[in-house]
Amino acid sequence: MLLPRFEYHEPSTLEEALHLMSELGGNARVLAGGTDLLVRMKLKIDKPTHVISLARVPGMDEIIPRNGHAVSIGSAVTAATLAGHELMRDRFAPLALAASRLGAPMIRNLATIGGNLVNARPAADLPPPCMVLNAELKLKSAAGERQVSVNEFFLGPGETVIEPHELLLSVHVETPPPWSGGSYIKLGARKTLEISMVNVATLLTLESPDGPIVDVRIALGAVAPTPVRAYGAEQLLIGEQPSEELFQRAGEVGVGLCSPITDHRGTMEYRCMMIEVLTKRALRSALEQARSWKP
Amino acid sequence: MKSLIQLTVNGRLVEAAVEPNRTLLQFLREDLELTGSKHGCGLGDCGACTVILDGKPVNSCLVLAVQANGREVLTIEGLAENGKLHPIQQAFVDKGAIQCGFCTPGMILSAKALLDANPRPTEQEIRLAISGNLCRCTGYQKIVEAIGEAAKTIQGMEVS
Repeated sequence: MLLPRFEYHEPSTLEEALHLMSELGGNARVLAGGTDLLVRMKLKIDKPTHVISLARVPGMDEIIPRNGHAVSIGSAVTAATLAGHELMRDRFAPLALAASRLGAPMIRNLATIGGNLVNARPAADLPPPCMVLNAELKLKSAAGERQVSVNEFFLGPGETVIEPHELLLSVHVETPPPWSGGSYIKLGARKTLEISMVNVATLLTLESPDGPIVDVRIALGAVAPTPVRAYGAEQLLIGEQPSEELFQRAGEVGVGLCSPITDHRGTMEYRCMMIEVLTKRALRSALEQARSWKP
Repeated sequence: MKSLIQLTVNGRLVEAAVEPNRTLLQFLREDLELTGSKHGCGLGDCGACTVILDGKPVNSCLVLAVQANGREVLTIEGLAENGKLHPIQQAFVDKGAIQCGFCTPGMILSAKALLDANPRPTEQEIRLAISGNLCRCTGYQKIVEAIGEAAKTIQGMEVS
């Protein structure tokens, strides 16, 4: 399968990259991992006349802990790096888990968190965990910089608030408080090389190991035009003692907050059933993790 | 417009001028005539094009040749030494893990990457390591056994 012709740029500094993006605007696409962009170009879905590679821009692929209670993840960090990173697995489990389920091993060695977020496919793996972690996204352009919450980033399939001249530079997440636990469940017809039929990420914080829920976040993918936070289900849970019945009710509420479609991966009816089941399972798993939290 | 690239392929330095829209797979197969890496789907879904780039297995159909500039590539052709098969290759032969052979180079390279990082993998870890490589012939069982066998052989070699 052939790639169409394009002009290739390999800026060696961030400034150079941003300058190119300002100049070329909508005629250019950023190349990070290439596992989405090059596929789209081969299928003639995207036809950029210019491709700007981030390969030589320094600092974009680093995971930098900050002050012991936050982490900055460069947008060029690969899924494989996220999946295997000790701090990610320990304190930001939903993100590490989701990264480990993205595509397949070889895809994970190329695919980046920036690409997964900016491409904004409704069934993408990394948006739901970023959403339950309330990630802040740093967007930079030649003109300036701004920060957007990931929960306000997605507008529709393939659409985000990012402008053509802006680059997603990094993803910032705060370490969840003590007695927090998270989970990620991906449902598909097969265990690998799969795009979700339904996926769900949760983060749950208890007051104490036997105590009530003080905070909970639930995000679902592949069940609406964008990944969604199930705020209604979250409200139901806060302040309550965790229980099977409670999680069951949260699952039921979750269904009402989604608008899945019928497509070749699954019917709307089945997806609705799965939202209920998987929300409950994800909460159960997050609870287990929260109860076994260690400093 | 062509760019000059310099990369190490199977231990040898290679220099070439390539168009940006050429994939690493095309470059290896057509410019270097290393046809061991196969074109299956061209979209990163089958793993027939697997090569090891700077120590990590990747779908070479989704890497531009220009992106491989300054990097190290290992293809299936780089495994055998002086005509002697690599233990993984030998295990595939011995265990009957090859039918049509199309997935084999990719499978072997994914296996190599696994064993380099994890010399004593469990069956589950083996299956996970090859989960990006599709095989339409064998049903995977013999491939998994071959990789397990190769792991033991390599461990045995290292001890002695």
